[in-house]
Amino acid sequence: MDDRDEIQTLLSRVALRDAVALESLYRKVAARLLAVASRVVQDRALAEDVLQEVFLTVWNQSAQRAPGQSLTLAWLCVVTRNRAIDMLRRKKPEQPLVWHDDNGEAQLHDIQDDTGSPLDQLLAHEDGQRLGHCLGALEQEPRQAVMMAFFEGLTHPEIAERMRRPLGTVKAWTRRSLMRLKGCLELAA
Amino acid sequence: MTTNHHYWYQHPTAVDQLAGAYVLGTLQGRARRRFEAAMRTRPELATAVASWTQRLGPMMTTLPPVEPSAATWKSIAHRAGIAAPKAPPAKASAWWQRWLSPIPAGALAMGLVVGTVAPMLWQAQMGSGSEQETQLPASYVGVLATAQGQPGLIVSSLRQGKVVEIKQVAPVEVPAGSTLYLWRIDKAGAVSAIGPVPAGKFVRVDLAEPAEKVFFTAVELAVSVEPLGSSPVAPTQAFVYRGLCGKLWR
Repeated sequence: MDDRDEIQTLLSRVALRDAVALESLYRKVAARLLAVASRVVQDRALAEDVLQEVFLTVWNQSAQRAPGQSLTLAWLCVVTRNRAIDMLRRKKPEQPLVWHDDNGEAQLHDIQDDTGSPLDQLLAHEDGQRLGHCLGALEQEPRQAVMMAFFEGLTHPEIAERMRRPLGTVKAWTRRSLMRLKGCLELAA
Repeated sequence: MTTNHHYWYQHPTAVDQLAGAYVLGTLQGRARRRFEAAMRTRPELATAVASWTQRLGPMMTTLPPVEPSAATWKSIAHRAGIAAPKAPPAKASAWWQRWLSPIPAGALAMGLVVGTVAPMLWQAQMGSGSEQETQLPASYVGVLATAQGQPGLIVSSLRQGKVVEIKQVAPVEVPAGSTLYLWRIDKAGAVSAIGPVPAGKFVRVDLAEPAEKVFFTAVELAVSVEPLGSSPVAPTQAFVYRGLCGKLWR
């Protein structure tokens, strides 16, 4: 059974309230999902809260899987990213710089990646090379807008403000970039 | 957008763009919740989202993993009520119950189908002038809708019979190695297995017990796609058909 099948099977079992499956799923994907949450909220403690929320949502099925939805790691990542954005919007004003781990030790806020940009990560990974190449083919500003939306959970107005560009321009950037990415990926396939 | 917002989901371009924005994260707040609600009843939206998820997924799945602290799992287990060695099979509704329980496509289509099929049956019955008997023998009749809200499946069985007849009005795709599987849902919403349904536009299924026993508690019937040869105790996939089960006798 490959990863994809295994995650799908575990999620189906979780839907039937199989606690063992929930734990297996956690062991399998928690570190990947925490990477996503950390990237968005830029705070380790908050990211772990997001992770908890995601698993409780999956357990209680308020993720409300739609018929036709594929149950994959990427889907869980999207759920996590959305949950992280929600959390960020609720808690924005007070982001702790120091948090305490479960041994009670103070940890410094430090998740600014020391491992390179997401684009570098993509290109370094076999699974991500095609997307990395297609993202790299976008013009610099639209690509930046896409990355801000994707990883920082910024809205169009926020991106416009940060990049000092008109809102309409930013909206057109993200929309066109998505279509270009789609075209590029289809071409590469 | 050039499309009327009430009908955006009928436009493949709009669906594709919104699904892309959903996965990118630029669809936020109320717009996102509306989209998610629509996604639950419109599989084509879920399919578009799945495609975008697959396209953009590597942006997230290639991030270097970050190991969570041990406390996080403990907290999840505690909050999920599974801190004890074995979780009791909680009664909370699973996604498949949720998908079928509220008003969505199924119920709507039900109104539509019951509105067209049932009056015909009742007319036949009333037209006979008989106060004693129905035109049709006492039967269980289920009219099930597809996930898209279309009339999908008609299930019928004589009250005292041991055979169920099933007509697929709108066939659904059943992958190789899978079979349609019939479920009954009682008034409390509990789902129990009836059995696999063979492929075909019109099929008969033999019952182990008389229909009266099998369908008596059923207020609704539903069909999911399950692995061939399996005997699931609960659906492992979303229902592809679902609808009311009626008793056609006086």
